[in-house]
Amino acid sequence: MAQLSTIPTRVKGPYALTTESVSFGYTGATILEGINLAVREGEFLSLLGPSGSGKTTLLRLLAGIETPSGGRITCNGRIISGAEMDRSMVFQDYSLFPWMNLIENILLAIGKAHPGRTKREQRELAEEYLGMVGLDGLGCKYPFELSGGMQQRVAIARALAVGSPVLLMDEPFGALDPINRNKLQDLLIDIWSQASPAKTVVFVTHDMDEALYLGDRVVILGSFPGRIMAELEVNFPRPRSRQSYLTDPELQALRREIVDYFRQDVMEQLDGIGAIRSQREGI
Amino acid sequence: MQENVTWIEYPHQQTSPGVLAAPRRPERDLMAKWLKLVKGKEALILLIMLLGLWSLIAQFAGGQHRYLFPSPVVTARALGASLPELLRGTYSSFLILAPGYLLAVVMGIIWGILVGTTEWLQRAFNPFARVAAPVPPTIYIPYAIALMATFRASAIFVVFIGAFWPIFLNTAAGAAAVPLRYRDNARILGLSRFEYLWRIVFPSSLPHSFSGMGVGLALSFILLTVAELFGANAGLGRFVQYYADFADYPRMVAGIIYTGLITFLSMELLEKIKRRALFWVR
Repeated sequence: MAQLSTIPTRVKGPYALTTESVSFGYTGATILEGINLAVREGEFLSLLGPSGSGKTTLLRLLAGIETPSGGRITCNGRIISGAEMDRSMVFQDYSLFPWMNLIENILLAIGKAHPGRTKREQRELAEEYLGMVGLDGLGCKYPFELSGGMQQRVAIARALAVGSPVLLMDEPFGALDPINRNKLQDLLIDIWSQASPAKTVVFVTHDMDEALYLGDRVVILGSFPGRIMAELEVNFPRPRSRQSYLTDPELQALRREIVDYFRQDVMEQLDGIGAIRSQREGI
Repeated sequence: MQENVTWIEYPHQQTSPGVLAAPRRPERDLMAKWLKLVKGKEALILLIMLLGLWSLIAQFAGGQHRYLFPSPVVTARALGASLPELLRGTYSSFLILAPGYLLAVVMGIIWGILVGTTEWLQRAFNPFARVAAPVPPTIYIPYAIALMATFRASAIFVVFIGAFWPIFLNTAAGAAAVPLRYRDNARILGLSRFEYLWRIVFPSSLPHSFSGMGVGLALSFILLTVAELFGANAGLGRFVQYYADFADYPRMVAGIIYTGLITFLSMELLEKIKRRALFWVR
């Protein structure tokens, strides 16, 4: 199992995030087991897994809003203890605070990231972040006045405004229609590739094409309990084009490989059920 | 047995496709016509009917009951005549109601937020709240009057106690039920405890607080008027009690109607504030 956690050679630089045999579970239920993961600084890592693979739990562990029951997690060489300002997160359900307008939502993050600045400077900075996600001049709108896609743009702006080097994203585009989803994927890649200093992104998704289109590397999680099945390098130059992506033979091979892993995962589970059934028949 | 009746042809049992219209009944058509005619004016019509009924009772009540049922016109005249006195009474009553109720709002929300978000406080206070909250607050009135130096202070105290519990309990329930996604976001953003309570928990539990404030306001009016019946020398409850003592029923009924109106207006005002404060609730 150890060789599954090889570090890609293409991505250089120190590790931004590592997990060492991290496990998580409640009494009677193991959700994650033996997670060894190393994310390079500036890397875009896709965490791909079916439901039940604990991918959201793994992200919450990385964020520090859950505590692992075994193993340890480091961020920039330091063992994490709870949610800290070096990691920020975007949730699936565009969780803006509905009683604050967009600027106030972003100001909440900026007040923490730049406490020294004047109110005026903070406000200008918030407007800047709003502009970065293509929502200039909408600062006084409230979340309920916005579509899901726009709300998620603001959530991304707020996560960026925290100013942390690591960005954790939990199926952020999962609830969007395909067109908005594509737009936001491209927006995210634009922001990520232009960020300086470089941002490390861990992006959770159950969509194979999304994982392959966005990631430098795709980590595949198996289910029950959640564990790492494989890590695939996506050696495609950026900027990537959607058209050539769909037809590229090398990418088709990667897709087939992923499908095989998922089939293997399902077969293992079916075997497990079968074993239990035959045992019962024996009795 | 069943076969015996199958030969009867019920219209709705016909095998032809399509739904048959229900047989038309003339009385239903009349009702529909009438309902259409009064649409939007139902309350007004009911009011006119009630006033008519009241007039009839006042007209035909005989003997000693005549004095118990002043007619609407007589009552309206009494209302007009005692309006200055009623306004003074309102002022006096609000000097009790406002401090008691506002204190209950502030304390109920602050304490509710603290208890709702702090597990050990919850464990400590829950048993006491369960015992103390259901005590009918009217029962405190005699003791409060004995305990406090002035009637006003004791009445404020009673209004406060009555309004505090529903506001506190509702706010605590709301604060304990802040959605996980708000809590997660607050942690990711690194909010301090105070920021979390003030900017997240307070607004998030505000809908609950407002339902407590509605119950609390209605209770406040009950307690206020009951306390005034006991020992006030001014105020709305006192007005009604005073003219009841003199058997001046026109003024008394006018006082009841006026108090009802004031209560209604106060509840409406609270509703307006609520709608404005909770504009984001969808």
